[in-house]
Amino acid sequence: MATTLEKKKTRPAILAPEPKHTKRRKGSWLATGITAFVLFIFLLPLGYMLVTSVKSEQMITQVGGPILPRSPATFEYEGELLDIYTVPMPDGSEMDLAMLQPGRQVSQFIDPSNPEAGPIEWEGNWRGLPPAYELDPQWQNFPRAWDLMEFPLLLRNTLVIAGLGTIGAVASSVLVAYGLARFRVPFGRSIMVVLIATIILPRFVTLVPTYALFVRIGWVDTWLPLIVPHFFANAFNVFLLRQYFLTIPKELDEAATIDGAGPFRTLWSVILPQMKAALVAVSLFHFYFAWNDFFEPMIYLSTRPDLQPISVGLRTFNTLYDSQPNLIQSGALLALIIPVVIFLFAQRIFLQGIDLSGVQK
Amino acid sequence: MRRWKSFAAMVALMLIVAACGGGGDSSDTTTDGGTDTTEGSTDTTQGSTDTTTDSGASGDKVQIRWFIGLGAGGQPEQRQVQEDIAAAFNESQDEIELVLEIVENDVAYDTLATQIASGNAPDLIGPVGRDGSNSFAGLYLDLEPLIEATGVDTSMWEGAAVENQREQDGTLVGLPFASFPSTMFYNRDLFDEAGLPYPPANYNEPYGVGTEWEGTWDFAKVEEIAKILTVDANGVDATDPAFDNENTVQWGFVWQWTDRLFQQGTSWGAGSPMAADGTADIPQTWEDEWAWYQSAVWETGFAPSQTEMDGPLGGNAFQTGTVAMAPTHLWYTCCIRDDENGIVGDFWDLAAMPENDGVITANLHADTFRILESTEHPEEAFTVMYYLLTEAALDLLSAYGAAPADPALTEAFIAGLDERYPQGVNWDVILASAQYADSPSHEAWVPGWDEYKLAMADLQSGLLSDPDLDLSTAIADLEAQLSTVFQENAE
Amino acid sequence: MAVTVDKGVAGGPATPFDPRRSRVSLDERRGRSGLWFVMPWIVGFFLWYAIPMVASLWFSFTDFNLVSGEPAEFIGLDNWQKLLSDPEVRQSAMVTIKYGAIALPVAILFPMFLAYLLVSARLRWREGFRALFFMPSIIPFVAAVLIFGGMFNGQIGWVNRMLAVVGIDGPNWFLDSTWVYPALVFIGLWGVGNAMLIFIASMNSVPATLYDAARIDGASQWSIFVHVTLPVISPVIFYNLVIALIGIFNYFLVPFVLNNGSGDPNGATLFYALYFFRVGFRLFDMGYAATLAWALFIFAVVVTGLLFWSARYWVHYEFEG
Repeated sequence: MATTLEKKKTRPAILAPEPKHTKRRKGSWLATGITAFVLFIFLLPLGYMLVTSVKSEQMITQVGGPILPRSPATFEYEGELLDIYTVPMPDGSEMDLAMLQPGRQVSQFIDPSNPEAGPIEWEGNWRGLPPAYELDPQWQNFPRAWDLMEFPLLLRNTLVIAGLGTIGAVASSVLVAYGLARFRVPFGRSIMVVLIATIILPRFVTLVPTYALFVRIGWVDTWLPLIVPHFFANAFNVFLLRQYFLTIPKELDEAATIDGAGPFRTLWSVILPQMKAALVAVSLFHFYFAWNDFFEPMIYLSTRPDLQPISVGLRTFNTLYDSQPNLIQSGALLALIIPVVIFLFAQRIFLQGIDLSGVQK
Repeated sequence: MRRWKSFAAMVALMLIVAACGGGGDSSDTTTDGGTDTTEGSTDTTQGSTDTTTDSGASGDKVQIRWFIGLGAGGQPEQRQVQEDIAAAFNESQDEIELVLEIVENDVAYDTLATQIASGNAPDLIGPVGRDGSNSFAGLYLDLEPLIEATGVDTSMWEGAAVENQREQDGTLVGLPFASFPSTMFYNRDLFDEAGLPYPPANYNEPYGVGTEWEGTWDFAKVEEIAKILTVDANGVDATDPAFDNENTVQWGFVWQWTDRLFQQGTSWGAGSPMAADGTADIPQTWEDEWAWYQSAVWETGFAPSQTEMDGPLGGNAFQTGTVAMAPTHLWYTCCIRDDENGIVGDFWDLAAMPENDGVITANLHADTFRILESTEHPEEAFTVMYYLLTEAALDLLSAYGAAPADPALTEAFIAGLDERYPQGVNWDVILASAQYADSPSHEAWVPGWDEYKLAMADLQSGLLSDPDLDLSTAIADLEAQLSTVFQENAE
Repeated sequence: MAVTVDKGVAGGPATPFDPRRSRVSLDERRGRSGLWFVMPWIVGFFLWYAIPMVASLWFSFTDFNLVSGEPAEFIGLDNWQKLLSDPEVRQSAMVTIKYGAIALPVAILFPMFLAYLLVSARLRWREGFRALFFMPSIIPFVAAVLIFGGMFNGQIGWVNRMLAVVGIDGPNWFLDSTWVYPALVFIGLWGVGNAMLIFIASMNSVPATLYDAARIDGASQWSIFVHVTLPVISPVIFYNLVIALIGIFNYFLVPFVLNNGSGDPNGATLFYALYFFRVGFRLFDMGYAATLAWALFIFAVVVTGLLFWSARYWVHYEFEG
């Protein structure tokens, strides 16, 4: 490592407030354009999701599948709803007519503006006729998904499971990562190896013994198996935080130690303020993981629908013989609101973290 | 920074309060129920689910866990019926507390296996058919001692139906509950549009009497009219060389959720995939039917391919109203009408199952409940099971769309169906199908049942998604593979 | 390029003693207190991981069947021998390798590319862009898989409709044993949000002075990226690489949900981890499934170990050494 004191002397330049973001041009349309294009492609499936969420099941299964949530325009005739088509008439004009009886060679239509005139016979292939569509988004899918899932209850469950788990996971992981990155811990290297190893072994192979363990201690059908283990740190978080700790100059905590700060105070008041961005990132990752984790909540809460999180509730729309893709998507969009709001808030801190990445003490 | 910290502290506090509300009733250490006072304030929305959980605090009842997910029971409407029945049962007596455990079908097998292996098995499972039941064969409680000890009445079921529930080793592991005969569902509107006569409403009746289409109601006839009923986007039907199989908008025929190969094959004639010497030997009727369906999908195009099933047909082909004929079981009445989505489903009726080589085979599903041998409370579990089979039977059967095993319930059951499908469905023909039930059953147990199913599913997906599949080679490979499976799993 | 990678973000007050000697003594003093910090994980490991891990290793030497009702019997190395001669093991390993060969580079390069776009000072509405690019990775898994099932349907999917507009007859993606891999990789793109955020955070920590110095030297954008940015973000490249690799070894949930675990088309999505799941939870042969899992584990630990070993040659930590 070729860090010398001489080089450090050049550094105070950046201690001066640096107008990093303002001094360049305000923003170029080229960069923005490229990004927007990539975003458009990237989010096309999201468009599919939005459109599906406001379709009725009929629109989804309509042959020829129009992209937008459209319904054929209809006309009520003698108690029946008839689809309206744009029909070319023998005299060369076009009329919007309601189809009474389709047929291979001859079909019968009703003129909605003059139903008393009775059926009109039309010769030709009705499948070639363009249906008269009208836009008909099914906004009620959202309240329906809300009610069917008992959304407020599931939301509470999800918030508790994900929230408490995140607090525990981040707090414990910070301690462990600090220990591994900053101390010559006995067997430190082996601990790191075993730590990573715990996430390499497929988790389904330990499912049965883990489940048996929670049965023995009576935690099945409670939230405990979903929350408590996270209070003992996990490899993803520890590994990521360790990588960040290693990029923070060691002189900082050494200086703090010389000043008489204990290791815990060094961590709290010297190091953590340096890595707010990483802390926010780890918190978000864990929160979102817990928000969407499905299998473990399902298996540990299978007799307690009143304790299940949203991820399990969504599955009730996807049963073997009765899949309701529109409700899954509208439910998923409802489930998305809180994580997105949290992200927008967290991003503030993220950006703050950038400005503080130089040490300004 | 400071504001952020106090905000974080507040969030943490709120979460803990919420957790106490929800966690309080989940922890079994609080037995007095007094700690649950916070509950009312946090979850006023809990509604009907509370009835099953609140009583959990009163520890002196015997808990019986009822595991649902291997067959019917997962749909929202069915969930509600089951919850109501459990609530009614729990109120009716104070010895037993019935706890529901509803798991989606695609994770039900893993969940149940994990619970069994971990010593946390449920007491009662079902409704489950032969298929799901085969996967856990050997774990069921023999009911005969319980029937004798309790002296309950089993006379309302036909003796043969009871005998049918015996395992190969002679133990009686279930009692008759639901029966799902199968027959031909057809779309009246599409027949009208094509100007074709409807399929025969009774068994042993020819098709299209007095018309140019008159002839025996067999699968050749099905193919003949299915081609006329198959139409592409230009309105050209499949009898026309100009028909475009890539742009089909209406299909003549589909195996509606009856397309597992051993199932569709059996519709042409029942048989066993295992020869007397323990090797695999696919019945000739199955092979013929597979070849027929392969050409239906890829050559003539009157049946949908996998892409079409996943795409325009959205998984539930017949419900879309774009398929003319679809043999399936009585349980399919679950899924044609869909009030929540405004699908009335009034376009269909029932007809006789077609014959093949003079033989009619209408596959039969029979679902029931089973008690797991590992239960600590066999008598209580049996009490619950008997309740479900008798008092609760009609409600459950109506929710599942299953014909009652007890003939006394049939009339009320049909009345319920007529209410749901007021177009006047010919229910007699599907009840008559029971006479033509498949024997041996298409779901008859073979050694290594789950491996057998996987191997069959592999060939099925090839058949439906690979236009160039060489079927006879694939069948030879399948037989070789199954021979190994049968031998490895033979006792 | 004369820019030395100086990761010193900004020096603290210069220390009045020789850092090298004092560090050793500090470390000795603090090694034990460090153990206290690591303690939560050590306790957690023995509470939650150790017993299930050892138990699952033990399974691999038994004929443990989840639903047999009979106690498992010790059968020595039978399962391990079966593993060596099982053609499906080789086949499913090949499937995983094929997928990984496309997915691994994409899992690193794509989020890095996004992060590069999103830290640019020349970009307008940066916050909004970041949120939108991140959003797909919060979408519930079941919903996402269904969305892509619809997007990639051979007949009515949006992808093929768009291809049709430019005159291309799109393949049958999920039902085609070649095209299924790009389609799966595309689904994987929706999960890069985490990696992207990590890259953004890391790229933001590159001191502006380094860029300025490089610019004064007349370096091109590309060489600034290669010689300034890459070394600084190498610790998180390493992290993302390890995590992505582990993810690929264990990859199966997407094809599992997509095809209900069938491995269609024609075994092309029968990933190794899916094969393991099938044996364990569809055929209930947990003894052999545990063998499959532990074989994967051993292989993956070796590969990850090699990565860690290689890290010393290309990952630059602050003041380490």
